[in-house]
Amino acid sequence: MDIHLFEKLQNEGLISPDSTEKVRILSRNKLFSLHWELKTILYLGVLLLSGGLGILIYKNIDTIGHQAILAMIALVCAGCFFYCFKQKLPFSWNRVAAPNGFFDYVLLLGCLTFLSFITYLQVQYNVFGTRYGAATFFPMLVLLFSAYYFDHLGILSMAITNFAAWLGLTVTPMRLLSANDFSSQRIIYTGIFVGLLLVFVAYMGDRLDRKKHFAFTYSNFGVHVFMIACLAGLMGGGLGDSYEPDNSYMLWFLLLAGATTFFYTQALKKRSFYFLLIVALYGYIGVSYVVVRLLVAANSVEAFYAGLLYFIGSGIGAVIFLMNTSKKLKKA
Amino acid sequence: MISYKSKTLDNLAVVEAAERALDKTCITADEFQQIKTAYPVDLYTPNIYMRFGLFILTLVVVFFSFGLFCLLFMAGGEKAIAGLTLFFGACLYGAIEFMVNEKKHYKSGVDAALMWMSGAAVIGAAIVFTDTHISLSGISLLVLLLAMLFVLRFADVSMSIVAYLAFLTLLFSLFMHAGRMVIPFMLMGVSLVIYLLSRKLTTIHTYRHYTSCLKMIEILSLITLYLGGNYFVVREASNALFELDLKPGQSIPGAWIFWIFTVIIPPIYIFAGIRKKDSILIRTGLFLVAAIVFTIRSYHSVAPIEVAMTLGGIILIALAYGITRLLLPSRNGFTSEQTDDDKTDAIQLEAVIIAQSFNQQAPQGDQFNFGGGSGGGGGASGSY
Repeated sequence: MDIHLFEKLQNEGLISPDSTEKVRILSRNKLFSLHWELKTILYLGVLLLSGGLGILIYKNIDTIGHQAILAMIALVCAGCFFYCFKQKLPFSWNRVAAPNGFFDYVLLLGCLTFLSFITYLQVQYNVFGTRYGAATFFPMLVLLFSAYYFDHLGILSMAITNFAAWLGLTVTPMRLLSANDFSSQRIIYTGIFVGLLLVFVAYMGDRLDRKKHFAFTYSNFGVHVFMIACLAGLMGGGLGDSYEPDNSYMLWFLLLAGATTFFYTQALKKRSFYFLLIVALYGYIGVSYVVVRLLVAANSVEAFYAGLLYFIGSGIGAVIFLMNTSKKLKKA
Repeated sequence: MISYKSKTLDNLAVVEAAERALDKTCITADEFQQIKTAYPVDLYTPNIYMRFGLFILTLVVVFFSFGLFCLLFMAGGEKAIAGLTLFFGACLYGAIEFMVNEKKHYKSGVDAALMWMSGAAVIGAAIVFTDTHISLSGISLLVLLLAMLFVLRFADVSMSIVAYLAFLTLLFSLFMHAGRMVIPFMLMGVSLVIYLLSRKLTTIHTYRHYTSCLKMIEILSLITLYLGGNYFVVREASNALFELDLKPGQSIPGAWIFWIFTVIIPPIYIFAGIRKKDSILIRTGLFLVAAIVFTIRSYHSVAPIEVAMTLGGIILIALAYGITRLLLPSRNGFTSEQTDDDKTDAIQLEAVIIAQSFNQQAPQGDQFNFGGGSGGGGGASGSY
């Protein structure tokens, strides 16, 4: 902090000499923090180590050395969990701070090596038989437990992706659109279900005061999955067939409209700019689709012009809407 | 020069500093309110998410406006369309000035969207006018001039990136025939000069409103300085541009000097950053260490990938552990603790990154692979 600025403010009578002194002490003792640099290095280290070990057993699965590698993985995993159980602060349904800067990464390494270990057992000994669901379900329980017991948001999001994978849905953030086949009805309904469930868990956790700070992670996955599944359902019929009018898309639109309203009021209540924005954008896409579909059905030149005007007008309207809501949020 | 009132931007800086002091409980809430009334800021700067949303929506509006505009004036040949596009770009520029001066938008997303579209319209018009026979130096000069205009008027950071890259492209197109041994050294020299220049400019009071642009230029010039001397970049670029037709294992003349640059520049950045307590130098240096690893692995396979990953992971963890221990609680003004207050979103972002990099994919059919995804062992991202 620039001490000259605060001296100037003091001379202008805006702040007390006491406050200026506090600023002076703080800026004199200012330390240069390497916090995020160290965190990134640690994270990369965990990423490389767990990935490397995973590939090691995979490549050496039929050789004699793989027993040693397996023992090493088990050892790393056990060591990590042992450390976490020893170091952790007492459990609470509120946010629990990590006892030190390494704790979170040790836990992450433990969970990742555990996943490798389970996968190995399944591939080599078929522990879970042919019920592939169990091979995903069991690790998910461990992840979920670790996330709550040790209070780790990263593990929680791994548990969520694992849970969705168990139901046959990929919810990894950047692959949500590419890895799922949204033309399949089953995937759409699974998406609706998973999304609703996650939003519900977030809502209940928040209400019952059980790990309130997990709510964001749950609803972040939940809202995206639900809205995308809903839009996929809405747009499943393409732009419509003028010979065979099918108005079932209106049901999807009603669902989308209801969800948008609900999420919007929740976002306002929680004062979250992030959810406000994504809900507004998903809603806008839905409305625009319906408008375009109706205009295509009209099938005329005027409709084309009307479409252009719609996008210009609605775009400006959405801009003004977002600006006003964000002003309202800021003031509240 | 800058479109905003200098006084307002100064007030904004004061209020932001006071806000930080308030976060650290150095000043009281009453004092903060007093400062806010004494230094009024009437600029509209929305939250970062809103800014993104406004950017996207403005793009939608401008796209469809352009479509309507073209439909209404479609008669007339190519030249007429080019003229209209140019006119459209000028109108958009007028719109930015209006939003900034009348609506007081400052980094609102609307301004950036209008800048990108205005620039794109003018460049598009130039391409149609010249029948796509515009030279590389011509187009990069045009981009440079436009981006500079936006930077000077609105201090937009993204435009400073465009301006810097256009400047390098312009130099490259002018020096292309000077020979392939000249270009790497020219790139390094120019980057160094620009880096020193922008460091100098950040300290000058007159240019205080451009600090974030200059910081961005600092980062970029450090990176291009490294890329200019990086063995991988020099070998592959000269191979492609000058048709050297190198076989795998063959090398470029003077390879050793580029190998030295490749390995030595990032440690120099980190070292200088630690000495000067300059986080830009430290972070860029750390980032470029990854480039060293990548470059070496591209030509010399020291160990199989999984062994390299395992060992690398162990080394990184040990390194982070060692440094943290060393800095406990603090040493020579460095600490491993967090000093600035947590941007609450950082931890959420971390959770998203973890979910992304250790991806769990829905099993397809009855296959069950390691980690369920393309990576092995539930850990590796990407495919091997």
